[in-house]
Amino acid sequence: MGNCLTGHAADDLSLLHEEPDRVSERLGPPPPYQEAAPVYHLSPNQRRTVSQLTEEEQVKIAQRIGLIQHLPTGEYDGTKKARECVICMLDFQIGDALRYLPCMHTYHVKCIDDWLMRSFTCPSCMEPVDAALLSTYESR
Amino acid sequence: MTTGASMLLKKQLKEMESKDGTQGFSAGLSEDDDLFKWEVIIYGPPDTYFEGGFFKAELLFPQNYPNSPPKMRFVSEMWHPNIDKNGDVCISILHEPGDDKWGYEEASERWRPVHSIESILISVISMLSSPNDESPANVDAGKEWRDDYQGAFKRNVRRTVKKSQELL
Repeated sequence: MGNCLTGHAADDLSLLHEEPDRVSERLGPPPPYQEAAPVYHLSPNQRRTVSQLTEEEQVKIAQRIGLIQHLPTGEYDGTKKARECVICMLDFQIGDALRYLPCMHTYHVKCIDDWLMRSFTCPSCMEPVDAALLSTYESR
Repeated sequence: MTTGASMLLKKQLKEMESKDGTQGFSAGLSEDDDLFKWEVIIYGPPDTYFEGGFFKAELLFPQNYPNSPPKMRFVSEMWHPNIDKNGDVCISILHEPGDDKWGYEEASERWRPVHSIESILISVISMLSSPNDESPANVDAGKEWRDDYQGAFKRNVRRTVKKSQELL
């Protein structure tokens, strides 16, 4: 696994630099976690409010939000195989907002988005989400 | 977020109450009915020097659980390479994902929000049987485990087992 990881950081940045318009466009309406008491966890032990962030850190958060927004969402309609959000351990209810990760694991949007801001991995299979996103772009 | 954490803890408490303790532990709230503070008893795993011990520990959950892991601290005196002298348990699944830029270095071994209280306690029991001696939290216990397993390590562990039985 180690070998696969070395180039990713650079790849990600180039991906974002290639389409800055798209990212900022996506950022237009502020995502839910920006609305109420924005506290960011750049890394686990650094809890900051938005005014304490450096410009570089703000860019990093914006990039992460942009990447999360690329992941498909949907509404639970009762027909899918996944029936439970393994983060909150509650059964999906018809109409719940879901997010689908590239590894096909499904969670409530509100449950998974908080986690993805901390660690860009699938909590079930540990698949790095950005690596999967990148391979999607490369295959285009 | 707090309501989500309370609901998840309440749900796990209910599941825990329906279990019979054959999985090697029992768990419930500490006396003050605070959902974020649990008391657990770990039964020393069979065929180890910990066998026969009833080790009391507390689990403290953060308000943003399950995005962050709980902290686990043994109240009973312990002698183990991965439990420091204050009783704090030092295992990777209770560590948040790393400070590395993209957050997935060793993600497999670290905290993930899909871990349940049960999976934490199972990991702790497995840690009692097979310590990780790469980064001991109790250096003396780590040294004894490596160099004098059947002597000093055994003596110290059996002493804590006896003590845990007396305190019941």
